[in-house]
Amino acid sequence: MKRELIDELRGVLGAAGVIHEPARLLAYECDGLALLRQRPAAVILPRTTDECARAMRILHREKIPVVGRGAGTGLSGGATPVEGGVLVGFARMRDVLEVNVADQYARVQAGVVNVDLTLAVEKHGLFYAPDPSSQAACTIGGNVGENSGGPHCFKHGATTRHILGLVIVRDDGSVLDLSLPQADPLGYDLVGLFVGSEGMFGLATEITVRLVPTPAVTETLLAIFTDLDAACDAVSDAIAARLEPSALEILDRLTIQAVEASVFAAGYPREAEAVLLVEAEGSEVEVEATLAPLRAIAQRRGAIDIRRARSATERKKLWAGRKGAFGAMGRIAPDLYVADVVVPRTKLRELVAESTRIAREKRLKLANVFHAGDGNLHPNISYDRRDADEVKRVLEASDEIMKVVVAAGGSLTGEHGVGLEKQEFMSLVFGDDDMRAMCRVRNAWDPQGRLNPGKLIPVHACREMRGTERPR
Amino acid sequence: MKPLEIVDYAKSLDCIHCGLCLRTCPTYQLTGAESSSPRGRIYLMRAVAEGQLAATDPQYREEMDFCLACRHCESVCPAGVRFGEMIETARAGLEQTQPRGFLARTARRIGFGTVLPSRFWLSWMASSMRLAQRTGVARLLGKLGRPLVEMPTVPPKSERGPLPATTPATAPRRGEVAMLEGCAMRELYGRVNRATVEVLTGIGFDTQVPTGHVCCGALHAHNGEIEGARELARSTIEHFERCGSGPIVVNSAGCGAHMKAYSHLLADDAAWRERAGRFSARVKDFSEFVAAEMPADVKGALGKELGTLAYDDPCHLCHGQQVRSQPRTLLERSGAARVELPDSESCCGSAGIYSMLRPDDSKAVFAKKAAAFRACGADTLVTANPGCHMQWESGLRREGVKARVLHIAEVMAAALRKAKR
Repeated sequence: MKRELIDELRGVLGAAGVIHEPARLLAYECDGLALLRQRPAAVILPRTTDECARAMRILHREKIPVVGRGAGTGLSGGATPVEGGVLVGFARMRDVLEVNVADQYARVQAGVVNVDLTLAVEKHGLFYAPDPSSQAACTIGGNVGENSGGPHCFKHGATTRHILGLVIVRDDGSVLDLSLPQADPLGYDLVGLFVGSEGMFGLATEITVRLVPTPAVTETLLAIFTDLDAACDAVSDAIAARLEPSALEILDRLTIQAVEASVFAAGYPREAEAVLLVEAEGSEVEVEATLAPLRAIAQRRGAIDIRRARSATERKKLWAGRKGAFGAMGRIAPDLYVADVVVPRTKLRELVAESTRIAREKRLKLANVFHAGDGNLHPNISYDRRDADEVKRVLEASDEIMKVVVAAGGSLTGEHGVGLEKQEFMSLVFGDDDMRAMCRVRNAWDPQGRLNPGKLIPVHACREMRGTERPR
Repeated sequence: MKPLEIVDYAKSLDCIHCGLCLRTCPTYQLTGAESSSPRGRIYLMRAVAEGQLAATDPQYREEMDFCLACRHCESVCPAGVRFGEMIETARAGLEQTQPRGFLARTARRIGFGTVLPSRFWLSWMASSMRLAQRTGVARLLGKLGRPLVEMPTVPPKSERGPLPATTPATAPRRGEVAMLEGCAMRELYGRVNRATVEVLTGIGFDTQVPTGHVCCGALHAHNGEIEGARELARSTIEHFERCGSGPIVVNSAGCGAHMKAYSHLLADDAAWRERAGRFSARVKDFSEFVAAEMPADVKGALGKELGTLAYDDPCHLCHGQQVRSQPRTLLERSGAARVELPDSESCCGSAGIYSMLRPDDSKAVFAKKAAAFRACGADTLVTANPGCHMQWESGLRREGVKARVLHIAEVMAAALRKAKR
């Protein structure tokens, strides 16, 4: 990048706010999806909305593409840089700006780490509900971009249900303030539209989130199965019985072994083929009304043991194990491909078995750890990116899994977003008309197509769009 | 050296890039830069090994030097990445690929090669520092003398003498231990060493100190002087082998963590590997040993005699040795008033000689700790490592916080004196 431009950005952001040295830029090549890598031209780290807006004005003038990045934990390549582009990192925007206990909302900067938000409000008997497994690292801004989920979203809903307002820096550096703390937006629900836009509509710099009262009672159960199919069936039964625990998670044998070997060892029995982690919250009566039938279902489906967390510490351990699962897979191979498909919950058993079969055919090591209650599968495929043939087989397997899932009435992504990883599969789900409608919305936000270009929308669809609808 | 040998390539492959380490990393917290995070540093190490990044790149050196090697990241890494060992290898590699200038090289040779392993020179240094502090010369030296002005006054020669080779148990005898006197500990915190002996003998252990032993080599290893570290490790093993085969009690967390890792340091040395393993198995941190061995009927009654205590976990004790509950158990048994220090497992910025090499970064890291201490309501900070001890003493003074800093051995010695059995 040109020296003058770096100096100009430094003038706005300070010396520590601009990273341009090639060695340091290398660390920004990829996010959680290490399969795809591209070194950015520069990284900027604003501290305030104003700094971000001023820097964006410069980048707009220079027609430089921009990619936003929270903590770089995303798994679909949403924060993979683009060639010649600037990465806007939010790691220096970490202030909780306001906590309104009475009205149960908080206003935070985009770079606040998910778990820090809950830590900041728990003394008031409140928490922030969406809890991605990466919550100890990922940022609220990133969660907004990807509409992230998490185990407890089974009950509480994904990020979009918890965002009340946004301050958005637009492509040209103008600032759009949509921060109303009311639940019902006036006029078009632009906030709702923005959540999950994967950094293609603008950069959210300040976020107003809904806080949820800490439940009176929380109970956590661990049901142990000697058969993965049976664990899946238990979940399908629980859904059919209309039970509403706050989380229903399954971990399979390989995952259990990786977790148990790590610092997050939770006491999952190593000999189990699967464990079902269940949490229920509410009043004592509500919790019991949910867990008693769940216990019966698990037993009917062959659970050999059902354990109950006896203390908050035990519960924390059970969850820390679940949330460290992705990282723990590092013990199995250098890289992990985390697929993220959603299947009808009546077909959990079949589709888990299908993905296992596909991985076996491709000679790949597959572990299953997933949000069973939501039907959100995460077939985790271990690989080594230095082995080109293995990488090819991983992509083929992912391709096949997505096709099988869509054919069965499922969807491409539950919570990780489309990004670079799944854009070419969008046409499995959407027709040309759908895609054109999406392109129009995108163009309304970002007419030059400078924000996170080349993500989400398949390349061919965009090209058509530009050919037919945009005046030259 | 080939690229594969200047970083620990195999270990770099353990990192799966999940990012769970980011929030715990003090340098990432300061800068928000991925390249200053554990995940980012590993990414750079791997890039060097794979030929994507030149080992001679100055920014690569800067990011490796910037790391405090606190190993907080290891405590939260689900993949079990051994970052502490990796950063030591990377720094040793840098000494080869980016040799320092003449002045720096000379200073390092004097510091690591001459002063640290020699009691004579350590003592001479301590006396000169004391002289400079007392006469005001330190003040006249300006920027160069600032560390001396800010650090606590070096104790007089009378307090820097050697510990007796053997001190017999003062309570019914239960066994025998050896103890590390340490290089800096003896010169700067002789009182901590004496308190350690008082506690060990007070709970029934004859306490030996190997004569002529000076330095365990931890500072060498942390700063890329791997050969010097190996030499000192072998010498340390020999010295302690002369003190029987009982536990070796260490009151300096950084030294203890390093001495427990000698088998890794000497892994390629067939003649020493097993000896190192046996040695490391004997090493126990002060709290680890005393919490296990203090007779159950000893009940401390310190109350508020030492003020209200807050314990700050030295990184190389909690992250390096997984010793977390024992110091708290001991303080509980001392009967002293105590509060928890928030975020006690984060680094104070001392990090061995980091506070001297990078004073500004060290102070920036400390600022958060000072704020946490101020808010927690304690007036005495308890630590278990000489580097942290000094960092807290000078840091609190600089921030204008009136508080006492004690080593946990000092607290326990006071508690034993007042104890009822």
